[in-house]
Amino acid sequence: MKKTMTYSEGIKEGMSIRMREDPNVVLFGEDVGRFGGCFGVSAGMFEEFGPDRVRDTPISESAIIGCAVGASSTGLRPIAEIMMMDFLTVAMDQMCNNAAKLRFMTGGKLHFPMVIRTAGGAGVNAAAQHSQSLEAWVTHVPGLKMVFPSNAQDALGLMLSSIDDENPVVYEEHKAMLAMESEVDMDMGPIPLGKGNIVRPGKDVTIVAVGKMVHEALAAAAELEKEGIEAEIIDPRTLYPFDMDMVANSIDKTHKAIVVSEEVRRGGYMGEISAQIAENFFDALDAPVKRIGALNTPVPFSPALESQYLPNAADIVKAVKAQG
Amino acid sequence: MAGKKETIRDLYTTMRRIREFETCASNLFAEGKIPGFVHLYLGEEAIATGVCANLKGDDYITSTHRGHGHIIAKGGDTKFMMAELFGKATGYCRGKGGSMHIADGSRGIIGANGIVGAGQSISTGVGLTILLHKTDQVCVCFFGDGSTNQATFHESLNLASIWNLPIVFVCENNGYGISLPQSKHQKVKDVADRAPAYGIPGVVVDGNDVFAVSEAAAEAIKRAREGKGPTLVECKTYRQHGHFEGDPAIYKPKEEQEAWLKKDPVKRMVKYMLEEADFTQAEVDAVDKAAQDELKEAIKFAEDSPYPAPETGVEDVYDDIVEEVRDR
Amino acid sequence: MAIGIIANPASGKDIRRLVSSATTIDNYEKVNIVERIVKAVIALSNEKIYFMPDSFMIGFTVIDDLKISGEDVSNLEVLQMPMSGSMYDTVYAAEIMEQLEVGCIIVLGGDGTSRAAAKGLKRKTPLLSVSTGTNNVYPRLVEGTVVGMAATALTHMDDVSKCCIKDKRIEIYVNGVMKDIALIDATVSADDYIGARAIWEAKKIRAIVASRCHPASIGFSAIPGAMTIIKDTDDIGVCVIPSENGTSVMAAIAAGTLEKMTLGDPVIMKLNEPLELTFDEKCMIALDGEREVKVRPGEKIEFKITKEGPYRVLVRETIEEAQRLGFFRTKDK
Repeated sequence: MKKTMTYSEGIKEGMSIRMREDPNVVLFGEDVGRFGGCFGVSAGMFEEFGPDRVRDTPISESAIIGCAVGASSTGLRPIAEIMMMDFLTVAMDQMCNNAAKLRFMTGGKLHFPMVIRTAGGAGVNAAAQHSQSLEAWVTHVPGLKMVFPSNAQDALGLMLSSIDDENPVVYEEHKAMLAMESEVDMDMGPIPLGKGNIVRPGKDVTIVAVGKMVHEALAAAAELEKEGIEAEIIDPRTLYPFDMDMVANSIDKTHKAIVVSEEVRRGGYMGEISAQIAENFFDALDAPVKRIGALNTPVPFSPALESQYLPNAADIVKAVKAQG
Repeated sequence: MAGKKETIRDLYTTMRRIREFETCASNLFAEGKIPGFVHLYLGEEAIATGVCANLKGDDYITSTHRGHGHIIAKGGDTKFMMAELFGKATGYCRGKGGSMHIADGSRGIIGANGIVGAGQSISTGVGLTILLHKTDQVCVCFFGDGSTNQATFHESLNLASIWNLPIVFVCENNGYGISLPQSKHQKVKDVADRAPAYGIPGVVVDGNDVFAVSEAAAEAIKRAREGKGPTLVECKTYRQHGHFEGDPAIYKPKEEQEAWLKKDPVKRMVKYMLEEADFTQAEVDAVDKAAQDELKEAIKFAEDSPYPAPETGVEDVYDDIVEEVRDR
Repeated sequence: MAIGIIANPASGKDIRRLVSSATTIDNYEKVNIVERIVKAVIALSNEKIYFMPDSFMIGFTVIDDLKISGEDVSNLEVLQMPMSGSMYDTVYAAEIMEQLEVGCIIVLGGDGTSRAAAKGLKRKTPLLSVSTGTNNVYPRLVEGTVVGMAATALTHMDDVSKCCIKDKRIEIYVNGVMKDIALIDATVSADDYIGARAIWEAKKIRAIVASRCHPASIGFSAIPGAMTIIKDTDDIGVCVIPSENGTSVMAAIAAGTLEKMTLGDPVIMKLNEPLELTFDEKCMIALDGEREVKVRPGEKIEFKITKEGPYRVLVRETIEEAQRLGFFRTKDK
């Protein structure tokens, strides 16, 4: 069955499907209950699943993640929401030192099937503490997995897989995409973690983009198409584990690679992907890998400045042309 | 009263086993056989013993960097513990955690933890599991006075209180946060004074008296099992050694150390057994001997065990992904 | 004349917070109470004040706080004495203060703290006991300011007999040797260690001896109090023993905790006449609510009510007498 739904509804549908099936799946975080979540993602879930399983927490990010660690090690499969990705920094210890490492440090004695949902990304004039893209900080930590859907289908399918996974998964949802509608095949089910998606096939250049940048890449590809350049756009969907095979196969065909993300360019996760491509597929490349990201500044507030800060389709077009 | 004497013997056995384990660990560290950092529980044995005596097998604990006592009192096996301290493949954590990270899910030990205060937040999640599974289990969260200045302490007591979680927060106030005496790291003298701020009861007990600890823990655990929510139990004790082995602890006044050594919980228990509880010296000696034998065996097990194979170093990061091993 | 202040930092935090609904008094609040007492003293006549030293440093904190707020703290002094962190600090401080011939000793804490102070006093130094909790009979709940006013007034009176009362006490002898004293009640319970000190299980109680009793009291004296009333001024005491065929009563053995007890008839104890008991199991005698004295099976225990208790300040009477004497009038308009 196919259905049009928003990115936000995709997330909710994924959570709700598993919560209906498994009483151990619970959702907690700031204002996720009757209020329905800061962005309304969990609207109606409190009414459907009740206050025990859709729990409002105090504003205590560290306790929220710590609670998910304890709950997941003893039989629940918690979905913990950190309202803004920027607030992950407040819970960094629980996420990086506990959720990520305890499985390893205890020699596999304990395991932590938990999902950390968090809204990242800029574009809504929320300034530097409510807009960041911290993919690099998350993917740098062994023990964490990370997903970042770019449409409603992926939002749903990746949520199912994230809940099913036996490891801590950070699930980033882009706050500027929540209302974006797309078609969803309700029968598709879970999308395996580590499996990328060729969003647009092409033969001339490989563009690896995540989250909202997938849409900028699509806009860029439409521009490039007018000039006879066929870009292949790969949305890895999962940042770790990363579908490098898909990227490798594409580069074999296109011999050019551009990586795009909304992160600050310096030290971004796309830098890691770029390095891996250069290290492993150098011989297949006809041009250096190009990274496209945000400016190396905090996210500015003013719409005039924020739009300058963010990478866009024009930047991608320019980069493709520069590669020759 | 026979049952009572057995209870006393059991309490003493646990205290003595912890004392023996820690004494051996101290010596082995000095001999260079145990690598890394080792934080010992010497002088605090009555707390883990008195608290865990009231717990059932399926109850949970969270522990700290100074956790050996908690693990032993909750039923941990000293062989696997010692092997872990040695960094051997047979250790509780396959040699990946060491002294500070021993866990045993099968005994409800949700891990010792090297981050001061981390166990407090984790305990709230354990409490949530119990609450939603509607069992009468409890989670005991052990921590020291130093950790009560971490944000986790405040966040966790608040969360436990607002959700009415079945947690007993046991503060082992040993007078020091690493090198800093309590009077220099917080203005309150009694950590229990902080309990009313979270709307939960807080009590102070003599942490060097296993009976005082046990009685207070029993009441707090009962409250938790009955759904009456969390409690903060502060046990006054003293860290007889430095923060870690190798710390000469020159910041501890000599008179203070001597005064507390006179209140040594293990010696106090022996005195009580001989003078008040009709134990003979031979009966006490038998417990001591058994603990010594157990530890000798544990050390032998640890020494005879192999170090972990290199390829195991990339396992257990994830349930389903084995990371790349270094090619040498 | 000087005033002594003993504030027990350990009171108000024991297991009664778990087994009953007793109040937790944090040490910061104790500092506040002491500050109010001291400010009243300074305002009226700035008498010398001696503080017992303690682990929370209540005395030093009060001096520092008052200094910052511009009060004259030159007459405030924390005693220099060795500290053990136990009740013996209170005993010892009371003894030293009496030797320093203070006109009054103010004690903040529960029944146990007053008892410890009483143990240290040999002469007729007036004892002003202030309650900082919910489980008390001996100390009274009085506002600190009024306590400071009464203590100051007392040190200016030539004759304090109208303002004080000589209290009874219970002396406890085991095998003929005096072991300890209690001010209000001595309760025998079937415990065999001190443990968490308080007792709260009615089923373990074997006997209660009280120097006074009233059904409105909180604690073990409320049990005989449910059957008979004995005032602080009556020259008698009482003993009750649980008995299956006796009378059942309800009594407030702890704050918020009413327990049913079935008791034999109360035995009235005359002054100085020992009452003898023995038990065939190990017991602890709780003095004013706290387990203190161990008794072995078959040992002879004697309880004696005497008039050797402290010389207790009646706060209201003191304030009234001071007002009659014109103590609160000032020379300048």
